Amino acid sequence: MDVLKVENLSVSFYRPEGEIEAVKNVSFSLREGEILAVMGETGCGKSVLCKSILKLLPDIARIKTGHIYAGGEEITDYSEEQMRKLRGSFFSMVFQNPMTALNPCMSVGAQIVEAVRLHQPGLSRRERRQRAAELMHLVGLDHPGERARQYPFQISGGMAQRCVIAIALAAQPSVLFADEATTALDVTVQAQILDLFLELRKKTGMSIVLVTHNPGVAARTADRVALMKDGELTGVGDVEEIFEEIIHRQNVI
Amino acid sequence: MRKLYIDRMLYNVGKFVLRVFALSVLVFTISRLAPGDPLYAYYGERVEKMSVAQQEQARERLGLNEPLFTQYARWMQGACRGDFGISYQYKTDVKEVIAARIGNTLILGGLGFLLIFVLALWLGLFCAWREDRAADRIICKIGTVTSCVPEFWLSLLLLLVFAVWLDWLPGSGAYSVGKEGDAADRAAHLVLPLAVVVLGHLWYYAFQVRNRLLEEVRADYVLLARMKGLRGKQVLYRHCLRGALPSYLSMMAVALPHILGGTYVVETVFSYPGIGTLAYESARYQDYNLLMVVSLLTGTAVIFCNMLAGMISGRIDPRMRIHGLPGGGEVRG
Repeated sequence: MDVLKVENLSVSFYRPEGEIEAVKNVSFSLREGEILAVMGETGCGKSVLCKSILKLLPDIARIKTGHIYAGGEEITDYSEEQMRKLRGSFFSMVFQNPMTALNPCMSVGAQIVEAVRLHQPGLSRRERRQRAAELMHLVGLDHPGERARQYPFQISGGMAQRCVIAIALAAQPSVLFADEATTALDVTVQAQILDLFLELRKKTGMSIVLVTHNPGVAARTADRVALMKDGELTGVGDVEEIFEEIIHRQNVI
Repeated sequence: MRKLYIDRMLYNVGKFVLRVFALSVLVFTISRLAPGDPLYAYYGERVEKMSVAQQEQARERLGLNEPLFTQYARWMQGACRGDFGISYQYKTDVKEVIAARIGNTLILGGLGFLLIFVLALWLGLFCAWREDRAADRIICKIGTVTSCVPEFWLSLLLLLVFAVWLDWLPGSGAYSVGKEGDAADRAAHLVLPLAVVVLGHLWYYAFQVRNRLLEEVRADYVLLARMKGLRGKQVLYRHCLRGALPSYLSMMAVALPHILGGTYVVETVFSYPGIGTLAYESARYQDYNLLMVVSLLTGTAVIFCNMLAGMISGRIDPRMRIHGLPGGGEVRG
């Protein structure tokens, strides 16, 4: 069963200077509980691909052609309000720089609670806090009570990324986009966060789209890899297949 | 915790007193170094008919011949007892001169400030939400024009239209003769000066709010907030406004004395008996004692408002809370 299916998706930015095609005719599907790595060099359209699926792109970007199916339903022409309901609950996203992704003026606890409250409005204040503490525990943050009162500038990058993940998981999404989620972290913390993704997949059964330019990250974590270049998908396959093909290509040249 | 609070209060009060003291020294020195003769304020044109000996005698009597330091010490001594001397121009106690007028300025400036505070925030939010769309563009253009129109010209224009041609509103003073206690009458007199005060300042602050918010809207955390499932407007009000508010509050705290005391053009055009005209006159005629008190009043307000702004920003933006105060380490945890 495919939780997410993208068919012939093309996305363009319309600027006064002209049209810029960021994503060209991309098709792929994501199975339940699968980790798909989208790999490619910087600027090849990986982020735009994710954000266009979530419709988080600025107004000048538009989906030109193609279809997006989420959980079997076509969402290509969903309105902002319909998309809003899907965000957080069906799919969620973790961003590259955890230090700027959190609001510097709110305690991390308040930001997690806010996400909980949006998706479970019926909970009492105490239950919301309880749920936030559970989420923090789930992503491996110790002392949730104390931690919740801290502000983003008081915690490390790894901790902040865990908080962002906790926020992303607040409504138990089926698909998590990790947009270069480990790029801004140092190597040991990267490994911890990747392990966390694997563990979360096991616990919750969600699918993960792992956007990265680091082959090591893809090989270590993903089930399948999609290669992207200049806005086009140049290959999708199991990790072994893709990496063998890459090595093969290198030898031929 | 309680001790810490008291420590901090004492520290702030001490800082406040020191700053006011420094300001008084500064105003005292500068006013006395400025060219001009204070005897003109006291005797007016008659000074020219006085002999040199008489002038000298008058100076002696007013204590203007002594060294600067002695003069300051004497002034300080009196000020501590609540005696700020007499106004050379009005020949009565400085406190009386100011007391008679300060209420009018507080009403005009205070109301103006409140209106500007609320409207600027609202207008800034309105424009930021509609960035680069028709409404925003039109308001930006109108705003730029109104904020560039000089206050005295706008005052005259409004006077001409509403007081002379249409005759809807009174054009001068703070109240009609004999109707000092009539609130409706006072309100009618306030409309035009208030309109000028608000129109003259509003766009500057609204534009700051707008731009500050647009900066926030582009921050990374907005993406995460939308990712959670918040509506665009909720993101603007709950997240972006929180980031923009500290700088708005400190800006408005600095603006408070500026708007309160900066009404003198308006006061002059509308013959509104306030403190703005007083400040101008006292500086012009070397009415030292009056000038000291008027400047100190404004200055104290500025210092107080700045400190207030710092405290408010600290409440809203946690990053400003950690440094620089004794025992400030309590923030963690």
